[in-house]
Amino acid sequence: MSPELIIALLAATVQAGTPILYATLGEIISERAGVLNLGVEGIMALSSFAGFMACHLTGSAWLGLAVGGLAGALLAGLHGVVCQVFLGNQVVSGLALTIFGVGLCNFLGTPYIGQSTDGFHQFAVPLLADIPLLGAIFFRQDALVYLSYLAPVAVWFLLWRTSFGLGLRAAGEMPDAASAAGRNPQRLRFSGVLLGGLLCGLGGAYLSLAHTHLWTTGLSGGRGWVAVALVIFAFWRPGRAVAGAYLFGGVMAFQLRLQASGTNVPSSLLLMLPYVLTIVVLVFSAARARSARKNGPTARNSAAPAALGVNIEPVG
Amino acid sequence: MRNSLDLHDPDIGPVDVLPLVRLAGVTKRFGHVVANDCISLSIMPGRIKALLGENGAGKSTLMAMLAGRFMPDEGHIEVAGKRMAFSSSRQAIAAGIGMVYQHFMLVEDMSVAENVLLGQEGGFVLDPKAMRATVAELAARFGLAIDPAARVGDLSMGERQRVEILKLLHRKSHVLIFDEPTAVLTPGETEALFEALRNMSAQGKAIVFISHKLEEVLSVADEIAVLRKGRIEGEFLASEVSSPADLARRMVGRDVLLTVEREPVEPGPLVLSVRNLSMQGAGGALLDDVSFDLRQGEVLGVLGVGGNGQQQLVETVCGLIRPESGQLDLLGHNWDKFYEHHDWDGALAWVPEDRSGLATCRALDLTDNLLLTTREGFSRGIWLDRARARKAAQEIVLAHNVQPGRIDLQAWQLSGGNLQKFVLGREMRRHPRLLVAEQPTQGLDIAATEAVWQLLLKARQSTGVLLVTGDLTEALLLSDRILVLYRGRVMGLFPASDKAQVERIGSMMAGLS
Repeated sequence: MSPELIIALLAATVQAGTPILYATLGEIISERAGVLNLGVEGIMALSSFAGFMACHLTGSAWLGLAVGGLAGALLAGLHGVVCQVFLGNQVVSGLALTIFGVGLCNFLGTPYIGQSTDGFHQFAVPLLADIPLLGAIFFRQDALVYLSYLAPVAVWFLLWRTSFGLGLRAAGEMPDAASAAGRNPQRLRFSGVLLGGLLCGLGGAYLSLAHTHLWTTGLSGGRGWVAVALVIFAFWRPGRAVAGAYLFGGVMAFQLRLQASGTNVPSSLLLMLPYVLTIVVLVFSAARARSARKNGPTARNSAAPAALGVNIEPVG
Repeated sequence: MRNSLDLHDPDIGPVDVLPLVRLAGVTKRFGHVVANDCISLSIMPGRIKALLGENGAGKSTLMAMLAGRFMPDEGHIEVAGKRMAFSSSRQAIAAGIGMVYQHFMLVEDMSVAENVLLGQEGGFVLDPKAMRATVAELAARFGLAIDPAARVGDLSMGERQRVEILKLLHRKSHVLIFDEPTAVLTPGETEALFEALRNMSAQGKAIVFISHKLEEVLSVADEIAVLRKGRIEGEFLASEVSSPADLARRMVGRDVLLTVEREPVEPGPLVLSVRNLSMQGAGGALLDDVSFDLRQGEVLGVLGVGGNGQQQLVETVCGLIRPESGQLDLLGHNWDKFYEHHDWDGALAWVPEDRSGLATCRALDLTDNLLLTTREGFSRGIWLDRARARKAAQEIVLAHNVQPGRIDLQAWQLSGGNLQKFVLGREMRRHPRLLVAEQPTQGLDIAATEAVWQLLLKARQSTGVLLVTGDLTEALLLSDRILVLYRGRVMGLFPASDKAQVERIGSMMAGLS
C-alpha cells in the first residue's frame, strides 16, 4: 500500500470514528450517572434524520446539528422518565427506545431517501494542516471532527473537575451516599441521561450532515451498539473511549476500502468485521478487568459504576 | 465536666451546662413491640456517653430517631433547648447531629477528599489540591490519620470509618453517634478510634457510643446508660462502675419474668462432641480450645456477650466452616464424614439468628420457604410434590399458631415472632437429633418468646439442643447445663442447678474467671 493510501485510510478512520466517539462519550455520561441506556442506536438513527431534515429545510448545517442533538436529548429524556419516574426496567426501556427510534426514523425518512443536503465540509486548519502526516490525517477534516477532539477533554473535566460531575458519579456509584450528602441523585441522574442523549444525538447528526450528506435508511448501521460496547472497553473513561472509537473507525474504513478494491472476500463477511471486533474487544476488556482485580486493590478500578442499572427507589 | 471545654472550637459557641441534645420521654412502637419505652437522656458537649445494651434492647431505634430516620410516637427531642421534629436524616445533620452507621455510606470509587466534600464542594469547578488540603487539615485537627487522595475502595474498614467521621466533622456536627463502631475494626484500629473519640470530645463534641461490649464501654466512656428491653435500666458515671461483672449484671438483667414448665428428660446418646476446637482470626483467637458434649434430651445454653466466638462455633457445628484444629463429632461421625452426605431428616436442624436472611428467603411464600430445608422429603426423582408441601406448610401454620395463618404470604409479610415459629416448626419436621438455636427469641414480643421457649423444651425430648443466647433469663430457664464463652474460650461449663456457679455468670461473661 502506498503512503498516500495509508494516510487516506487513517483520515477515513478519524471520520468513521467520530460519530462513535460522540455516542460513546454520551453513553459514558449516562452510565456514570447510573443509567444504562441501550437506546443509543435508536437515538442515533432518529437524530441523524432530525439533523438531516433541519439542514434540508433551512440550509443551515449548525441548525441541523442543534436539532439532531436536541432530538437525542428528547429521546433520552423519554428513557429518563420511564426509568426515573416510573421506575421501569432500564434494559427493557432502552431496547424499546432503540426499536422505536429506528422504526420512527425509517417511517419518517422513507420519502426523503436519495435526497442530499449540504451539511458540513472539510477545511484545512491553518498551520496545523501543514504538519507532515498528522496534518493530513487530523487537520483536513470538518468542524464536527475538530469539535470531537475537544469533547473527551470536556467530558473528563465535567465528570472529574466539577461539583456537578462529582455528584453525578456519586449518583451512579451510591445514590444513598449522594442523598445523605445533600445532593439529589434523581435530578443528577436525569441531567446525566439528557446530556448523554445530547452527545449521542450529535453523533447521529454527524452521520447525515458530515459523513454521507445524503439521506438513506439504516444510516446508524449498528454504531449505537458499538458505542454501548465501547463504554465497557473504555472502562467508563473518556480517554480510552477515543482509542476505542478510532479502532472501530479504522476497521469500518478498512473494510470499505477492501470492498472497493474488489477483493474476492464476500462483502457480507467484511461487513461483519466491526461486530466481530466488538465481541473480541469485550472479551479482552473482561480479561483485563479480571487481571486488574487480581492485582489487588491498588489497581485502577475498571468495573462498572456500582449502581449502574439500579433504579433509585423512592423513600418511604 | 472536663476542663478542655473552654477550648477554641468556634463551632460550639459558649458552653454552659445545657445539654446539646435532650430526649424527653421518647417512646417508639413497632406494632405490639415497644422498642423504646419512655426514654429520657441528656447528651452533653465534651462527654462520651456509652449506650450499653443487648441486641434488640432498642439502642439502634433510639439513635435512628436522633438521626432523623424515625419520628418518636411519644415524647420529643430537644436540640440546644429547642424542640425539634426530624422527618429526614438531612434535617438531623443540619441540626448538628451526625451518625456513623455500621454500613458506611461511601462511594468506593472516589477519593477520600471527594467523599468528604460531596455535597459541600463550594463552587462549580473543583480544585482537587485544595480539596485534599481541606480534608488533610480537618483530619490533622482531630487526629484522624488518613490519606485524602486514597481511593475509598482501597481502604481498610477502620480508615473508611474515619472518612465517615470526617464527613460529619466537615458538616460541623456537634453530636456524633457511633453505632457499634468497633464491630468492623481490628484491635489496633479500635484503639485508634478510641483515641480519636477522646480527641473529639476534648474539642467539645458530644459523642454517643453504642455498644454491647463491656470492656470497650468502660475504657472509653465518661457516662454509661444501660438500655434493656427498651427502657433505661440505669445511668451512671463510668467511674462509679465497680467491675465489668457489675455492668454485665445490669445489662443482661436477672429478674425472671416468665416461667415455663420443664419436665425432666432422661439424657440419651451423645449427639455432639467438641474437643479442643480452635480457630484463628485476624485479630487473635476466635475459638480457643473449646470442648464440650451434648446429649439427646438436654439443652446446653451457650451464653456470652455477642461476638465472643458464638458465631464461629455455630457455623462450624452447622457445616459452614470446616474445623481447623480440634475434633468435632456429630451424631457419632466426624465432621468431614457427617457433611459428606448428611441426611435432611433425623439428623441436624439449625434455627439461625438471621431469621429473614439465612433461615428464610424474604420474597418466597411459606410453602417455598418450607421446601428450602425439607425439599428432599417432598421430591420423587426430579419432581417436587408441591401439593403435599402446601399441606405440610398448612399443618405447621396451624400447629404453631403462625399468624395470619396463610401459607401464600411471603416471608417478609410475617412478623418476626410468627416467622420464627414457622422456622422452628419447619426444622422440627426434620426430626432432628441435634438442634442448634441461635438467639431464638431476639426481637420477639413476650407471647412469641414464650411460644418459642415451649417449642424448644418440647423439642428437647427427642433432640439435643444447642441454645446460643445472650439472654441470661432465657439461658437459665431452658438450659440443663450452661457454657459461658468469652473471647472464644470456655469460661465455665456447669449444670444450671449449680447456684454458686450461676451467681458468677456475670463475671464469666466479662472474662473474669
